[in-house]
Amino acid sequence: MALLELDRVSVSFAGLNALTDVSFGLEAGQIRAVIGPNGAGKSTLFNAVTGYIPVRAGAVRFAGQNVLGMPPHRISALGMRRTFQNGGAFSSMTVLENVLAGLSLQTASSVTGLLFGLPGARAAERRALDRAHELLGLMDITDLADRKTADLSSGQQRIVEITRALAAKADLLLLDEPAVGLTASERDHLVRVLRGLAADGIAVLLVEHTIDLVMSVSDRIAVLNYGQLIADGKPEDIRSHPAVLEAYLGKH
Amino acid sequence: MLLQLTLSGIAQGSIYALLALGMTVVFRATGVINFAHGEFFMLGAFVVYVLIQYVGAPFFLAAPLAVVAMFFIGRGVERFFIRPIALSPHIILAMMTVALSYLFRGIARLFWGREVLPMPPVFSLPPFEVGDLIVTAQDILMATMTLALVLAFFLFFKLTRFGRVAQAASASPRGAALVGIDVDAFSGNMWGMAAALGGVTGILVAPVTLLYPDMGAQTLIRAFAAMTLGGFGNLGGAVVGGLLLGVMEQWAGGYLSTALIDIFSYLVIVVVLITRPQGLFGSPDVTRV
Amino acid sequence: MPKRLAVLVLAIALAALPLATNDYVQYVLNLILVYGLAAVGFNLVLGYLGQLAFANTAFFGIGAYALGILMEAGLSFWAALLPAGLAGALAGLVVGLPALRLKGYYLAIVTLAFGELMRWGYIHMDAYTHGSSGLGVAAPSLGSLPLDSQAQRYYLILAVAALVVWGVFNLLRSRIGRAWVAIRENESAAASLGYWPARYKVAAFVASGFVTGIAGALFAMLIGRIAPDSFGLNQLLLQFAVVMIGGMSSIWGSILGAALLTATPELLRNFPGAEEIIFSLMLMAVLRFMPRGLAGVLAVRLPMLRERLYRS
Repeated sequence: MALLELDRVSVSFAGLNALTDVSFGLEAGQIRAVIGPNGAGKSTLFNAVTGYIPVRAGAVRFAGQNVLGMPPHRISALGMRRTFQNGGAFSSMTVLENVLAGLSLQTASSVTGLLFGLPGARAAERRALDRAHELLGLMDITDLADRKTADLSSGQQRIVEITRALAAKADLLLLDEPAVGLTASERDHLVRVLRGLAADGIAVLLVEHTIDLVMSVSDRIAVLNYGQLIADGKPEDIRSHPAVLEAYLGKH
Repeated sequence: MLLQLTLSGIAQGSIYALLALGMTVVFRATGVINFAHGEFFMLGAFVVYVLIQYVGAPFFLAAPLAVVAMFFIGRGVERFFIRPIALSPHIILAMMTVALSYLFRGIARLFWGREVLPMPPVFSLPPFEVGDLIVTAQDILMATMTLALVLAFFLFFKLTRFGRVAQAASASPRGAALVGIDVDAFSGNMWGMAAALGGVTGILVAPVTLLYPDMGAQTLIRAFAAMTLGGFGNLGGAVVGGLLLGVMEQWAGGYLSTALIDIFSYLVIVVVLITRPQGLFGSPDVTRV
Repeated sequence: MPKRLAVLVLAIALAALPLATNDYVQYVLNLILVYGLAAVGFNLVLGYLGQLAFANTAFFGIGAYALGILMEAGLSFWAALLPAGLAGALAGLVVGLPALRLKGYYLAIVTLAFGELMRWGYIHMDAYTHGSSGLGVAAPSLGSLPLDSQAQRYYLILAVAALVVWGVFNLLRSRIGRAWVAIRENESAAASLGYWPARYKVAAFVASGFVTGIAGALFAMLIGRIAPDSFGLNQLLLQFAVVMIGGMSSIWGSILGAALLTATPELLRNFPGAEEIIFSLMLMAVLRFMPRGLAGVLAVRLPMLRERLYRS
């Protein structure tokens, strides 16, 4: 059974069909990309799957469970985490605090415990702090721990956001245009990170514009155009797919 | 009694309508809620008073002079207090206008202390009766001036080139700047016009309410309620909201309890914002955070 | 450890403070503590959660009147203190729930209106509140010893405020504080991390209501006689100025701001208008040049002073 299944998902805004009958699946440990020209519906797909916009028809199943209609915070608790196109890192927090914020489930101790500083709550917080440091080490950003996130480059902020999304054991990571604005070396770091995630059994769904990155890192690629799925296959198949070429080149 | 209350309600409501209109002009043009608008109201009256008492000018000269003075004061406020922080979050801008309000009131209090000053009325005519109703000259003056000013404003915005420019600039300052509109001068003029409008309102009302530093602040909440009722940012809504508020206030005071008049505006605000935040004519989701 | 030493020195200085002051100066210091605590409460919603809500005056007044009314009904100060805070917390719930649906200016205006409606209530429910003539609040007593002097009240206020602020610090340096800041910075991102925004927003209002309610109760005890006029728009502006000048999202900033702004009106009581002018100029200067307040300016120079969202 696929980890994530989209089953004829359709979304409309004010009479316009943003997505029509989109279906595909994603297995654990797989890196899948969704590409397409501007306005193809990639962001709409993303927001629909993660619970931020309503879906008109179809189903979205995560580990067998239908997640349509669930509020984003509940979907997150199931094991799906996402990043945001405009950078969702919390600017006024330090990098360490951002990653700690990702550990909401680990720090879910009682309010009274937190309020009075009871041992149980303090232990949970300490464990979270240790885990956060561990994650910073894994992602190779320990030296940034106490830096204010707003002061970092957008590439670094992107890595912070991904680290944060990974903090709680996510089974599926959805990345919304993670490579935008990254330098070449930051992009390489990102690719290494993504490959490492897949090796750990985490599934990744990417929305991306940078075709090179997509081709080099994805296991499978889905191509959208005008809200419809026009191709779904391995990178080498997509590269020469006639419908895909027409969608991108024919747009001039 | 219903008719009498309605009539006084319309007269009172005209004041609220004019104040709400001035505040809406500024809000539409520059996105700022001007908590100091009540002070434009107060200052207009005070300037006329000073011109009459200390300079000896006759009323028909003092009043227009005061209005012109208010225009320049409004422009000055925009230039020196608002423009330097124009890019700050709205809360900062709003608080700056609150601080301005205190500043003006403090200055007025410094000069006039705790006195309440009388103001000569525009016309001295005895009230006359129409059937059962008692109508004062003040009421008629308020109503006609309101009508005239509101009409003038609407014609100005819809028909003149400056008015269309105003609409463009408020919808998109960047776009306006790109086509060569001087957005800074525009903002200054909008504030100037709002201040002048506030000043006129003050001059009209002062003979009845008398002059004191807090006269603006106390009426401001009514203007707020009018804007909320009519729908934030809607010019027609501000006027209708003001008139409706005035009438409803009088009805509540007459039929329920006079104690309600003081908090009627607050009740309107809470009820409208909880049930239908966009008011009567506003569009839903006008969120300027 | 220099930090431990500094805390110890501070504690001794605070304990010995009344030895260096006379009754009037001590009264002003007590007032500073009360306004500082109120600012901490206000800051929870305005600074940390980042919502433009002006219900703090309402919470302040509700706490004050709750204490006054309960004490008049026969309860001791100590028995009435917690209920006063809880009354504030309840008010926080009442404001927090509709606040979920209102944004920006709308929330600001409706909370302002709520405060004024409460004030009208204080004036007109005179069976309980004695209306405009004010409600007298008796001096608290420790056993059979009445706490009359300003020095005695200082220790009382210091103890209560320190306890409440300690609780606030605990909350801020935990998942709850991080959730509040996360929601302020990017609510969608916060939801994607598993935080239910509605729950944390309401929690912030309830916490703010409690803290500000306690501050109001202490205020009532300190000045001995509360009247509706103390809880109007002037009070709101003063508390806002304290938070702005001290620095939003800073606990120490709230105390600093309170210190600065409480001393000033006391010095200018006798000149009509002067108080308003100085006050407004101060606020304008901060809004124009130091929007992050004193704490913000200091935090840039001394990163050590930055208040963390976790326990180190």
